[in-house]
Order: sequence, then structure tokens, then C-alpha cells
Amino acid sequence: MTFNANDLLGVLPAIILSIGALLLLMSEVFLSTTRAAAQAPASPGERVAQTATAPEISSTQPDRRYQAWLAAGVAALGLWAALSQLGDPAISLFNGAAMSDGFGRVVAATVCGALLISCFVAFGYLEWLRATRGEFYALTLFSAAGMCLLAQATDLIVIFVSLEVMSLALYALCAYLRRGKRPAEAAFKYFILGSFASAIFLYGAALGFGATGSTRLADIAAGVRLAATGGGPGGSAGLLFASVALLTAGFAFKVAAVPFHMWVPDVYDGAPAPVTGFMAAGVKAAAFAVLVRILVSGFGDPSSSIGPHGWQQIIVWLAALTMFFGNLLAVPQRSVKRMLAYSSIAHAGYLLVAVAAMGNAPSRPDATQGLLFYLASYGATVIGAFGVVALIERKFALAGTGDDLSSWAGLSERHPALAAAMSLFMLSLAGVPPTAGFMAKLTVFRSAIEAGLAPLAIFGVLTSVAGLYYYLRVVVYVYMVPEGRADSVPGGRVLSASIALASCALIVLWMGIMPGSFSAMIQSASGSFGR
Amino acid sequence: MRRVDTPGTGGYFPRPQTARLKANDEGIAMDSYLTPYLPILVLLLLAGVMCVAITFFATVLGPRRITNIKEAAFECGSPTTGDPHARHSVKFFLVALLFIVFDVESVFIYPWGALLRDLNGDGLGWFAYFEMMSFMATLAIGLVYVWRKGALEWT
Repeated sequence: MTFNANDLLGVLPAIILSIGALLLLMSEVFLSTTRAAAQAPASPGERVAQTATAPEISSTQPDRRYQAWLAAGVAALGLWAALSQLGDPAISLFNGAAMSDGFGRVVAATVCGALLISCFVAFGYLEWLRATRGEFYALTLFSAAGMCLLAQATDLIVIFVSLEVMSLALYALCAYLRRGKRPAEAAFKYFILGSFASAIFLYGAALGFGATGSTRLADIAAGVRLAATGGGPGGSAGLLFASVALLTAGFAFKVAAVPFHMWVPDVYDGAPAPVTGFMAAGVKAAAFAVLVRILVSGFGDPSSSIGPHGWQQIIVWLAALTMFFGNLLAVPQRSVKRMLAYSSIAHAGYLLVAVAAMGNAPSRPDATQGLLFYLASYGATVIGAFGVVALIERKFALAGTGDDLSSWAGLSERHPALAAAMSLFMLSLAGVPPTAGFMAKLTVFRSAIEAGLAPLAIFGVLTSVAGLYYYLRVVVYVYMVPEGRADSVPGGRVLSASIALASCALIVLWMGIMPGSFSAMIQSASGSFGR
Repeated sequence: MRRVDTPGTGGYFPRPQTARLKANDEGIAMDSYLTPYLPILVLLLLAGVMCVAITFFATVLGPRRITNIKEAAFECGSPTTGDPHARHSVKFFLVALLFIVFDVESVFIYPWGALLRDLNGDGLGWFAYFEMMSFMATLAIGLVYVWRKGALEWT
């Protein structure tokens, strides 16, 4: 066992994000001289009164606006670190505990990009709620660091630690606006069910360790090969199958696959909109990355009954159930946030189609590429969509209504750009051609057909057609339903949100119209991954 | 000193993979992988049988004379006062949380301290040293944070 200092370069994005988070925590406490001044956002009623009477930052609170820019800077640095290593050859880090390859780097870049845009979305939102605190950005940075590590980990212990780093920060972020029932409900449900999922993951890891005597994915793969040839200790094949099923169940919770999806609507609904956007984009990217790594690197031996053909069946059924129920349950939702939550479940189903396609070695590079493309495009789209929701939420607080569809009526007259952006994101989520969502679905379904999973692909296309209904309903409300009240989004500090939304829209269009330029970027990633 | 967890000395836990795979390669017949855990299963069964049996016979055979004094809640011999469902200040939870953080730190530091000499022999001395220093520095930043936030003040 040796230690190579260069290994630290391999996890550079995570290191940058962690140091940035610590810096933010320190800046928060050493800047804040008025500690006693109620470190929590006021209740909605008070907030409205405050904004109505005193739009300036009151003198008792220090100016914390730099924190968003600091966090955004750290995220940009992490993005740069991930992108600068993109073309490098894959190397194993820390004696096989982690891996720096194109796959991990693309996921890290996606996470850092999502974080960067989320900082812009959160800035205006938090400033308006007078809730800007260093803890918010520090927690998002910690969580992003966990996500980057998760995408690179090749050891079950490292995976578990990164998973907890990511999740614990997110539990706290869900309850960030802690007054009121909904944030508490969101955080509590997420925490209890998330801990349960972690326990299931751990049980799967323990069984895998029991069967192979190692937590390294490479050693587990060796154990799987041994079990396939009838060697290995008796009963280890059964243990390994239980292990892969439990590990999959643990991550099916994190990616919100049916039947592990119960928490999603309440959590997405109760958490602040910028957090929800970041959560939807980042957690999905990281959890899918690690799920794929476990399944392909650990249990991907084609000659084994535990290998691809064993877990492919699990994933196929998960994907079919998730696509069906995600789209079905989204239809009756009138709250846009809940609709997006169910849509996030449905998208987990489409992504699982790509994972299922990885079960067959020949279609693996295409499926990996499709998965990465899908994760990036979904990230940009969903952060944009929740960015618009965040802006509309400001209005809800003033008007006192829920985020019902009726709040969106007539948006196009007051805010044409916002309406256009929201429509673009809805079209992309639905998978309509000139957008990123279409190309993503195309690549994923194509890889599924290559892998011989044509029925699953057809089922996916059918469910996504059903999805058009509820996505386009938002567009209908935005453009065609006359507005009831003439209240607009409160002015000021929308510049940062505009930047975020514009960049999301550009990415969505760019990935939709010129997917080739992006595919070339992730080509190296898919080639280097898997056997 | 002989370390119990070195291979070949038995150890705390059976080492299923490496030991067994080797045995398998040498052609020794292996029965189920779970066999070493059989005594634990027997112990569990025995414990269960004992619990059920003792409770059963105590219920059936033992005399049962219930009085008011026996039924009263026992609290160190003095009469009970107040509502048992009293609300506690959230400060206790905060202290418990902070305690766990530093408790876990010490959990890591002890084995590190015990192993540092061995690690130095393996050429990992400075690595282990800086690893622990960065870990403690991170926790120290956390301590500074909670201190400045006022979490250490009781009032």
C-alpha cells in the first residue's frame, strides 16, 4: 500500500468544493457580528410586510450578498477542474478506492455546472426572503462535493461516505426555510426514508463483502466471475444476488424510482425551489453514476447469472414501473412543483432504460453516452424550470395563493421572456424536437433498442407521449388562459435569476440543436468506462 | 505481541473470502459459506427458547398478588411528581449533536495513534499524519463555527 500525492489531483473538484464550503462557513461567522439577530427567515406574513415596507437590507444584518458570488466562483473552479481533466486517461486512485475517468469527470462537471447555475437562482430568491446565510451555500457545496466523490468512488465504503456527505447536507437544505409545516415535513420525510435507504444500501454492501471479502468493486467483480464458474465459497452466488438487489434498491430510492418514490412529491414541494432544482439535477446525476458503476464495474461480468442478465431484469422492471407511474401520477397534479416532482420520477425511469441497456456489453458505450447526455440535459432543464418556479413563488407569498396552476395564468402578458423560458423547459422535459430533452430521449431509447430491449423502448416512448399532456398544460396556462389578477413578480434582484434562466435555456437549445458538439465531449467518457 | 486479527491466528471474525478461496483452490471440499456462523444461530435459538420458557413458567407457576403500591411507577423511591412527557429544551439536542461530532473524532484518533508507528514502518507515516491533521483541522473549523454561532453558550 502506497500513497501517491498525485491521487489528490484526481479528486480535485471535490477538494475545491469542500475548501470553498469551509471558507463560506468561516466567512459567515466572522462576518456576522449580530449573532442574536434571529438567524432564521421570518414567517411569510412578516416577510411580506418587511418587503413591502423596507426593501433595503436592514442595518442590523451584515451584507451577505458576496456569499453567492463566492459560492458561484468555487463552483466555477470545480467545473474548470473537472473539464480540464476531461481528456486525460483514466487512472485508479487511492489503491483502487476511487477512479478518475471520463465518466466521473463528466458527472462532476454536470454537478458543478448545476451548482453554479443554482447559486444564481438561489441568490435572488434568498435575498428576497432575507434568508441569505453562509450555511446555505456551504451546505450546497458540501453536498456537491459528496456528489463528485460519489461519481468517482469504486469502493463501497467510499461510496457510503460520499453518499452520506451528499445526503446529510441535503436533508438540512430541505428544511432551510424552517418556519412552517411543509419544510419540516419535507426534511423529516427525506431524512427518515433516506436513512432507511442508506441502511438498505449498507446491508447490500455487507452481503457483498461477506461473499467476496472485499469492498472494492474490482474484487467484487472477481468474486462474481469466480461464482459464475462454479468456484468460490458455496452459497456466494445467492449472497451476491441479494447484494446487488439491495444495493440497487438503496439507489433506486435516491434516484426516485417507483416503488421507492413516495418521498419525492412532498420533499420537492416543501424544499425551497432553488434547492429542489439542484437536488433534482445533482442527486440524479451522482446516484445514477454510482449505480452504473456498481452494476457495471462490480456486477457486470457477462458470464454470470448475477451479472448483467441478473440485474438487467431488475432494472427493466424498475424502469417500466417508474415510467408508467411517474407519468400517470403527474397527470392530476395542479401544483407545478408537485407536477415537476412526479416528472422527476418519470425521468428516473427513462434514465433507468439507459442503465438496463448497459446490461449488454455491445451497447454499453452508447448507453453510457446516452445516460451522461440525459443527465446533463435533464439537469439544465430542471434547474431552469425550478428557477422559474422560484420566481413565481415570490408572487405566491404576496398573493397568498399556493403554487396552483392558476397562478401561472397570463404569465406571457406580464413576463414574456419568463413565459418563453418556462415553455422551453416544459417542451424539453416532454422531449419535443428542438430541445435537449428530445436528443436525450432519442439516444437513450436508441441504445435500448440496440441492447435488444425494444419493448421497453416502445413503452418508454408511449409513456413520454402521455407526459406531453401535463407539460403542455403549463404552457396552456401560461399563454392561453387569461390572468385573474394583475400582480407581477416583485421587482429587483431578478438579474441573477435572469442570467441563470438564460444560461439554462441556452444549454437546452444548444444540446438540442447541436448535440454533436456535446457528444464529442462525452465520447471519451463512455469509451473509457466499463469493460 | 501477537495481533489477534492477523490471518492465520483465527482472529475475531472468520475471513471467508481469502482464506476460503485459497482452500478451495487447493481442492479442499467446502460446504456452505455460512457454516462458521452456525454457533451464533444456535446461540440465538437458545436465547429465544430460554426467554420464552422463563417468561412462560414465571407466568404459569408464580403467584400473582397485585397491590396499589406495586403498580405505582418507581422513581428512586420518592413519590413521582410532574408530567412524564415534559418538553426538553432543544439545547440538549444541540449538545448531544456536538458531543457526537467530537466523540467520533476521538474514535478515529485512538486507532490512528495506535497504528501510526506501524504505518510509519510501511512508509505511510507522513501520509497518515497529514491525513489526520486535515481531518482535525476540518473539525476545528467546525468548532470555531459553532463557537462563534453561540452554540456553546447555555443561556
